[in-house]
Amino acid sequence: MDDEKIIALYWARQEKAISETKKKYGRYCYSVAYRILRNEQDAEECENDTYLDVWNMIPPIKPKPFSTFLGTITRRISLDRFRKYYAEKRGSGETALSLHELEECISNGKSLDEEMEEKMLAGAISDFLRTLPETEASVFIHRYWHFRSVAEIAKLYGFGESKVKMMLKRTREKLRLYLESEGFLI
Amino acid sequence: MKSERLQNAIGMIDADLLKRSEKPMKKKRKIKIKITAAVAAILVCAIGLGIFFGNQSPVDLSVHAISVAQYPEMSKYPAGTRWNSHDLNWKAWDEDQAKQHAYFGSSKGLESFVRATASEILSGDGTENRVYSPMSLYMALAMLAEISDGNTRAQILNLLGAESIEALRTQAHGIWNANYNDDGAVTSILASSLWLDNDIAYQKEILDILAEFYYASSFSGEMGSEELNLALREWLNEQTGGQLKDQIDDIAFDPRTVLGLATTVYFRAKWYDEFSETKTKKGVFHGANKDVTVDFMNTTSNVYYWWGENFSATVKALERSGCMYWILPDENVTAEMLLQDEDVWRFIGSTGTYENGKKMKVNLSVPKFDVSFDTDLVENLKNLGLTDCFSYENSDFSHLLEASTGKGVVVDELQHGTRVSIDEDGVTGMSYSVIMLESMDGIKPTYEEIDFVVDRPYIFVIKGEDGSVMFVGVVNQL
Repeated sequence: MDDEKIIALYWARQEKAISETKKKYGRYCYSVAYRILRNEQDAEECENDTYLDVWNMIPPIKPKPFSTFLGTITRRISLDRFRKYYAEKRGSGETALSLHELEECISNGKSLDEEMEEKMLAGAISDFLRTLPETEASVFIHRYWHFRSVAEIAKLYGFGESKVKMMLKRTREKLRLYLESEGFLI
Repeated sequence: MKSERLQNAIGMIDADLLKRSEKPMKKKRKIKIKITAAVAAILVCAIGLGIFFGNQSPVDLSVHAISVAQYPEMSKYPAGTRWNSHDLNWKAWDEDQAKQHAYFGSSKGLESFVRATASEILSGDGTENRVYSPMSLYMALAMLAEISDGNTRAQILNLLGAESIEALRTQAHGIWNANYNDDGAVTSILASSLWLDNDIAYQKEILDILAEFYYASSFSGEMGSEELNLALREWLNEQTGGQLKDQIDDIAFDPRTVLGLATTVYFRAKWYDEFSETKTKKGVFHGANKDVTVDFMNTTSNVYYWWGENFSATVKALERSGCMYWILPDENVTAEMLLQDEDVWRFIGSTGTYENGKKMKVNLSVPKFDVSFDTDLVENLKNLGLTDCFSYENSDFSHLLEASTGKGVVVDELQHGTRVSIDEDGVTGMSYSVIMLESMDGIKPTYEEIDFVVDRPYIFVIKGEDGSVMFVGVVNQL
């Protein structure tokens, strides 16, 4: 079933919307959750929580593309769970590692406004990524959106791991400078 | 600012950036196997076998054939009457048929698989029609076992009742041949294919095994591309005579798919003794949801009638291609209850040797039907003990894929669609000329008489010529 029809089912408040979403995107949501949590049961629960959130969010919205919308929700739910239950126990996982790496972007400063809307920050990061060569931007997204390991990314692109590490390090540094210049950090 | 907020913000970056980042990943982007087991039982019209049946590469150059299966050559069913045993056309046909008949009995041992999957897949809320093909599912899972390794393979072998991959391979090869017929008069083909992403690394010898033992052709293309999706759908439509087009239109690989397996069953046969159209009458079918008036076909013949504690059953032969059984629950017993009944499964597995049966003059009255059902079988197979092939942590498809890739591959979907219909001519919707034959000995014994009226929910079973259970279904509503 195409995305528009699935979204129409949500608008019509038909529960079939959820089964169709699961049928088409269940494994995708699950994989997003699993990459963050590395636990099958938790990933399954986050996948199911995603459907509930989507049910509550549509209507009024009509997300496009639907897959990204789902992935974003699953990611948020999974990160929340990770922080709540796993941060200490799984401190060496990719999720915790990537968090640690991101601290470099803010290591020399603090936020002007702790309550700064994350959406504004997301917009700034999107703008920043557009200034980068496509490969560098994508490598950054694989690492910090999808939580793929350096080894996985290296394999995807046919790079050595050290090249990926270097690329990420430079991108983080550029991001720090960009956020500073945009007034997010001082 | 906390780095967690930065992490949150990255999660909300623009969708186009996210989508763009996926492009270079398509080659090895893990991690999904899609199995499609589309099944057609009854074909309304003869559709020419297309480019894939013709052992040619697909037309679209962006889709490549890696390994192409060669079906056994089969002489066409000769036109006209067999006048003597020296007629060369008949002799050639006899020899080719005998080659296939040598494989009869290959499905022995599959009873537990058929029972387990039928009980699991056909059990619903008792209001909808469900039908599936054990043979199609078996072939799909057998190929899945071939490409897997370790405990992933062990679980599949266990479900299929095979002691080893070699035993499974021999049995699957036998079942394929026992049910293969394409002589122009009977069409029964278990077709299989494997679809690979262009850049996935694989062991070519495994594809050769699939071609040799499973008659499976292998193709490669860009997963998620319209060209590959079109090629897959064309292949499925050609194997199923276009009869499952609505279901097949929804089937597509997505960019995350690395490998697809597809199997089909193409089965067309006429009754050994056809129903007379003039005897077809309107009648009431007392469905699970409501009573409906439908066409009932009627015939009287001397055939076997069986009875168990909770059911009765009878059979009608198909010309040179097996037979169909109707299993009617007793009053106050539902078809779903029968699916869990040990006695019923002993009957289905008995190939006519069930003890409570005798030949009778059966006044058979059965509704014409055209039922279809499509579903994803992942959850059903999990319930049947297949877990590793769906698990990122445990799956192992390194037998076909390189070790580093194969460990991260899981089964994503297992779509199964089936359609079965019957009418006066048989398990085909097209009109058919029927030659009436009389018993050569001229002696017609007399039998006790019984009315067998299938006017409420029932189970049907269609067996191939060697006794393989080709289709099982439960009809709750017409």
